[in-house]
Amino acid sequence: MDFEYKETLLYVENLSVAYGDTVIIKDINLVEKDVVREGHNSTSQVIAVVGRSGRGKSTFFKALTGLVDPKTGKILIKDFTSNEEGAAKEIKEGDIGFVDQKYTLFRHKTVHQTLKFALRKTSLTDAEKEEKIIEYLHKWGLDNFADKYPNELSGGQRQRTAIIEQLFSSDQFIVMDEPFSGLDVGNIIEVKKSFDLLNSTSEYNTIIFSTHDIELAVELAQVIYVIGYPTVNGEKQKYGSIVAKFDLRELGLAWKEFGEEHLHLTKQIINQMMLS
Amino acid sequence: MQLITPFQTISKSKKTIILVAWIVLLLVLWFVGTSGEKHLFPNPQQVFKGFSELYNEGLVVHIFNSLKLCFLSIFLATTIALLFAYSWPIPLLKPVSEFVTKFRFLPFTGLSFYVAMVIHDARNMQIWIMVIFLTTFLTTSLIAVVKDIPQEEFDHAKTLKCNRFEVLWQVIVLGRLDYVIDVIRQNLAITWMMLVTVESIVVASGGLGFLIKNSDKFMNHGRIIALQIIILLIGLSLDWFINFLRRALFRYSKI
Repeated sequence: MDFEYKETLLYVENLSVAYGDTVIIKDINLVEKDVVREGHNSTSQVIAVVGRSGRGKSTFFKALTGLVDPKTGKILIKDFTSNEEGAAKEIKEGDIGFVDQKYTLFRHKTVHQTLKFALRKTSLTDAEKEEKIIEYLHKWGLDNFADKYPNELSGGQRQRTAIIEQLFSSDQFIVMDEPFSGLDVGNIIEVKKSFDLLNSTSEYNTIIFSTHDIELAVELAQVIYVIGYPTVNGEKQKYGSIVAKFDLRELGLAWKEFGEEHLHLTKQIINQMMLS
Repeated sequence: MQLITPFQTISKSKKTIILVAWIVLLLVLWFVGTSGEKHLFPNPQQVFKGFSELYNEGLVVHIFNSLKLCFLSIFLATTIALLFAYSWPIPLLKPVSEFVTKFRFLPFTGLSFYVAMVIHDARNMQIWIMVIFLTTFLTTSLIAVVKDIPQEEFDHAKTLKCNRFEVLWQVIVLGRLDYVIDVIRQNLAITWMMLVTVESIVVASGGLGFLIKNSDKFMNHGRIIALQIIILLIGLSLDWFINFLRRALFRYSKI
C-alpha cells in the first residue's frame, strides 16, 4: 500500500433529515480520513456520491453544509483552529463550502468583490487579502475577469469563481452538487483541472461531489458512496441511505488511468444503484 | 405570405416598413375619418389648435407641476414600500407587509375623504393620496420580487458565513436594487394614470389633470386629445428613461 490514513476529517453518525413527517434520509454513517501518499506532497480527498434521482443526495449535501438541520445524528469536521490533535467541531452554516449546480454567485458583485467578501472573516490584513486574491485569480486563470460580474462570465469561469469563493470562506471542505451536469467536453476538462488545482493546494482539501456520470465518478473519486432506498428485513424503504461504499484506494484503482477494471467497477456501481 | 405566417422571422428593414405602414394607416384614418361635416373624433387641425392654445396657457408649467408631483410621490411611496418589502422576511412583520398589499383593492374616493380630514392643504393632499395608493401597489410588486429570489441565492449567502441580517442585506437589498427601479417602471403607468385623476379631483397647483378637467368642462375635443397625446408621450419617455437609468447604473442588470 503506497498510502496511509491519518486523522479523521469528516465524521457523520446516524444522520437523518426529515421535512415535516417525511423522512428524506436516515441512518447515514461515514468516516473520511486524511490520506497521505508516498512521494506526494499533497493529496486531497475526492469523494463521489451517486444514486438515482430523488434518493436524497441533495438533502444529504444540505445537511453536510449546515443548510438544513438534521433530525437525528451529528456531523463533525476537523477543527483547523485548534492545535490539539484530533480536535473536531460540529458543523454549522459556512464551515463546509457549497457549490450548487447553477454556480450561484452574488449577482451584484464582481469577481474581485466576491472574493474579497469571502475573505472578510479571516484574520488577514487588507494587503494580504489582496495578495491572496491576485494569486488565486492567476492560478485559476481568471486574471482578466476580476472586474466582471457573474452575468459576464462563462459557465466555467463562474464555477471557478464559486470554488475559490467557497475555498476562501470555508474550512477546506467543498461540496459540489452535480458539477458536471450539462457541461460540454471542454467544460468537463476545466472542472477536472479545478479538482487537480484543489488537490495541489492543500493536503486537507476535501471535495465531495455528486454526479449521474458514474464513469466520471470512478475516474475522479477515491471513494464512492451509493445513496439509495435501503432494504430492511426484505422490505424496500422510502428514505435514502448509504447502500454501498466503494473505496478505490483499497481496490487499487485510485490515482490511476481509467482502464478495464474501472469499467468493471462502473457496472457494479450502476447495478447497485438500480437495486436501490 | 411570410408576413402573415406565425413565428416567422423577418428582416429589420421589413419590420421598419411594417411599423411605418401602420403609422401611415393610422394617420390616413384620422385625416379621412375626420374630414366630413360630422365626426366624433377631433380632426388634426383642431388638435393642433388645442396644442397651441395649451402652450399659450402655460402647458410647460403644468407638465412641470405634474412631474414634480409624480416624482415626489414615487420617491416617498418607494421609500415606504421598500421598508414593508424588506421587513416581509421577518416573521413578526410579515403580516403587516401582507396587509398593506391588500389595500390596493380599496377605492380611491373613500380614502381621500379621510385624508382630507387630516390634511387641509390641497397640494399635500394630492401627494399623500398618491403616496398611500402607490405604496400598496409598489409593496405588492416588491414582495413579488423577494418571493421570486431562488432559494440557491439565500443558501449561497449562508455558506459564506452571512448571518440572517447579512443575507437580507446582500441578497434582497443589494442584490435586487436594480429590480426596485424596474418595479417603479412597471408601476409608472398606474402612477401616471392616478396622478391625472388625483389632479382633477383635488385641484391644487395645476397640472395635466387640471387641464383635462378644464377642457372637459368646455367640451374642447381638440384640447382633450392634444392633452392625451402629451400624457402618453411623457409616460413613454419616462418609461424609456427609467429603463435607461437601470441599465446605466447597474451593469449586471439583465431583467
